[in-house]
Amino acid sequence: MASRKIASVKNTVRKAAKAVRKQATSARKKVAQAKKAVPARAKKLLKAVPAPKSAATGELKLPALHESTTSTGLKVIAAERGPLPLVSVRLVMRAGGVWDPPGKDGLADFTARLLRRGTKRMDADGISEAIEFVGASLYAGVNEDVLSVYLTTPAEHFSAMLDVLGQVVREPTFPEQEVVDARERALAQFANDLDDPSSIADRAFTRAVWGDHPYGRDLGGNKRTVSTFTRDDVVRFHAECMGPRISLLTVVGALAPETVAAEAERAFAGWTGGPAVEPMLPRKQERPAKAGTVLLVDKPDQTQSQVRLGGPGFWLGHEDYFPATAMNIALGGGFTSRLMNEIRVNRGLTYGVSSYFDTMSAGGIFALSTFTKTASTREIIDVALKEIHGVRDAGLKPRELKDAQSYLAGLYPLRTETNESVASVIADMRIHGLGDDWVEKFRDRLRAVTPRDVAAAAKKYAFADRPVIVVLGKASEVKPLLEGLGPITVVPASDYE
Amino acid sequence: MSKASPRSTAVRAVDPTLAALFDVHEATLPNGLKVRLLANHQAPVVSLYTFFQVGSRNERPGITGISHLFEHMMFNGAKKYGPKMFDKTLESNGGRSNAYTSNDMTVYYDDFSADALETVLDLESDRMRSLRISQETLTSERQVVMEERRVRVDNEIPGMMDEELGTLVYKAHAYRWPVIGWMADIENITREDCQEYFRTYYAPNNAVLYIVGDIDPKKTLALVRKYYGNIPRGPTPAPVLNAEPEQKGERRAVVRHPAQSPSVMIGFRGPAASDEDTLVLDVVQYVLTKGEGSRLVKSLVYDQKAAVSVMLDWSWRIDPGTILFYLELKPDSDAAKVEGLLYAELERLARDGVTDKELQKAKNNLRADHLRELSTNSGRGHALGHYEALLGDWREGLSLPTFYANVTADQVKAVAAKYFAPERRSVVTLHPEAGANEAGDEAAEA
Repeated sequence: MASRKIASVKNTVRKAAKAVRKQATSARKKVAQAKKAVPARAKKLLKAVPAPKSAATGELKLPALHESTTSTGLKVIAAERGPLPLVSVRLVMRAGGVWDPPGKDGLADFTARLLRRGTKRMDADGISEAIEFVGASLYAGVNEDVLSVYLTTPAEHFSAMLDVLGQVVREPTFPEQEVVDARERALAQFANDLDDPSSIADRAFTRAVWGDHPYGRDLGGNKRTVSTFTRDDVVRFHAECMGPRISLLTVVGALAPETVAAEAERAFAGWTGGPAVEPMLPRKQERPAKAGTVLLVDKPDQTQSQVRLGGPGFWLGHEDYFPATAMNIALGGGFTSRLMNEIRVNRGLTYGVSSYFDTMSAGGIFALSTFTKTASTREIIDVALKEIHGVRDAGLKPRELKDAQSYLAGLYPLRTETNESVASVIADMRIHGLGDDWVEKFRDRLRAVTPRDVAAAAKKYAFADRPVIVVLGKASEVKPLLEGLGPITVVPASDYE
Repeated sequence: MSKASPRSTAVRAVDPTLAALFDVHEATLPNGLKVRLLANHQAPVVSLYTFFQVGSRNERPGITGISHLFEHMMFNGAKKYGPKMFDKTLESNGGRSNAYTSNDMTVYYDDFSADALETVLDLESDRMRSLRISQETLTSERQVVMEERRVRVDNEIPGMMDEELGTLVYKAHAYRWPVIGWMADIENITREDCQEYFRTYYAPNNAVLYIVGDIDPKKTLALVRKYYGNIPRGPTPAPVLNAEPEQKGERRAVVRHPAQSPSVMIGFRGPAASDEDTLVLDVVQYVLTKGEGSRLVKSLVYDQKAAVSVMLDWSWRIDPGTILFYLELKPDSDAAKVEGLLYAELERLARDGVTDKELQKAKNNLRADHLRELSTNSGRGHALGHYEALLGDWREGLSLPTFYANVTADQVKAVAAKYFAPERRSVVTLHPEAGANEAGDEAAEA
């Protein structure tokens, strides 16, 4: 239950902002957090391993990738690895939140979650029974750029489970009643989310940072947009935005690659529709929509303020990735980061603080996330800005950089420890063009970063311009504390339902 | 702790897949420190776990939350590695660390690059041997924990409900108070309290060390001896008395707080982890809430559309624990009505039991989840420690799949009838108070 630190505030933020909304689990997560023993640890697996590795050098390799394409144009990558008799599958396509039609924020996510509520051959109960009986799991969700369907299964049931995955993606029927029910559940969830301070702060922050940019949309939608969703909307999104030619199927686990290729051909036979080529947003580095201003979200029952700061970042695959990442580890990544040290260790102002680059296909941000008791809201913002500006003005000490490099390089292999994480990294490498040597070269590239590289990155990203500031808390007490930080706008939490 | 219920060896056979994964090397140092080592050369990384047999269960009123506050203090400096040096040394060597405290135990863990093994042993043994607790760091860390309490409990509805529930379910046992402790206690715990806690519970004879990953067990054991061997044994901590009286009837409480919807949290008094009923309840938990096709999710969320979500948490504990349900409802729901729907499902389970197919499904999922848990070094290290702490021996974990595979429909039915009885129940209902939004609107206009 109680633990020394939250896995990472960044993870919490990302989870709320981008992660798949698993209907039945949000409450579970909350209670588990308040109650249970195993905290973050159980959740944040980023792991998995390279099958072949030379123990002597600690060299990191992914298992060999076997590529094929089905007759319908679906790209398939199979990677065999054991020893556990389990398989992880990820089907990913460029059909994320940015392709929600105007006024229909959340439609991609809504559609993704309805996929398993009925196909031409099975109703929702039949699908759940087929998957859950054998100990497999299947869920779908979106981030800004892509729609993903995740499947994990005991290896012996791979063929049957891939068949179900094929059905839910190729021929979902979206029964009218399921659409109505899902809409109602979503609306109830939006209302309940108003009682979750960090979720609302994240929503407010996303809108304040991105404004009218497609990345500023509510990924899960909101009360206003979701209440307009009809079955036709969902059917159209499925037909127009999802299809084999923009999709990649990654299969990692205890299975021969030939089996994977043959089963994929069978499971996805006859899949048509969707774009012929991958849709892309133009890449652009932009300043936050509300840079230099303060948005105060009023939630009068709070004894604590949620604080978010944001400035420009960069897109996935950007050349600044390594120097900026090294900078961020030292500034607000690890447990010994400057922010953690000054804000938590020296001043006891918070339980969690972190800074992070949120990188997406066409752009990104640099942000800070934390929280503190109402009375210290201003202090925590001032100290955070001072620390960030310190790095902007003077970069990192060589020793600090070296420590950050060792930290991240040492832990990087954990990102290849499970079938799930290997499937994810393979999908990311391909979808975002990171290159097949991404994992193998990661640590060399990180270690090659110099203090000069970091200084340049810091000049660019550590709030060279004034950031957008979002605070959620008790406005009547917090507002006077924020004077002088920029024009303040106060809005009720209900704006984010 | 390891007093097991009657169990037939026939249903506790070791699972062969697991046996192959757990070639564990064991040792006990002269000072009582138990060591378990498990090699896995898939990646150049290692996980190290230290389990201390102390949690909120060992506390008393006035110092509630001390186990957890003390857990924080373990990162604030010892003799060789002073203030801030633990994390600094670990992170700069390619490692990370964290810890958690539960009702029953305090667990520290490190994930790190294999070549940092000796450094990590130096760090961990240093703080077990000679932790230094300064007034200054205690003052600062106390503030951090108060913020942690605010974020987990005071500003989060399920957190505040859970705290209320604990005091209903338990009258006498230390499970009554929250692991994080009451705010006033957190504010008042002294440096002397912490020092006494360290002397009492952080001795090697109250700890077990698990090291899993890219290691040579033989060389690793030699290193463990080198770094931990001279830490003196401590006194045997006093046993915890379970004075909990029998519950004579349903208990209820109401929490009034600004919220959009009512919600309901229900706790049934369950068995201790070492009781075989606990494992049958694991099966029950899967039947009721694992997956969209599980009984309660299908019935309450999808078919009757009465709840937004339903969760069931059955966490093993040393002394009898709580089978906890949480129903997240829609605005304007009738909480009492939904509560009734839940009881109807529980009664149906107790009366009619499960189908063969449901039972098999639960077993298949338990097995798959068990395997997934073991897919990382950290997962394996944690599993070993968890089973040893709660069942008395890590080997018990290897036979779980066989046990689950042999659970019968009759056992499920009997356990449901026994534990879901109304007189074992405590209920906390959240009554939303007007507030949040109205006030927000005023602020917007101001």
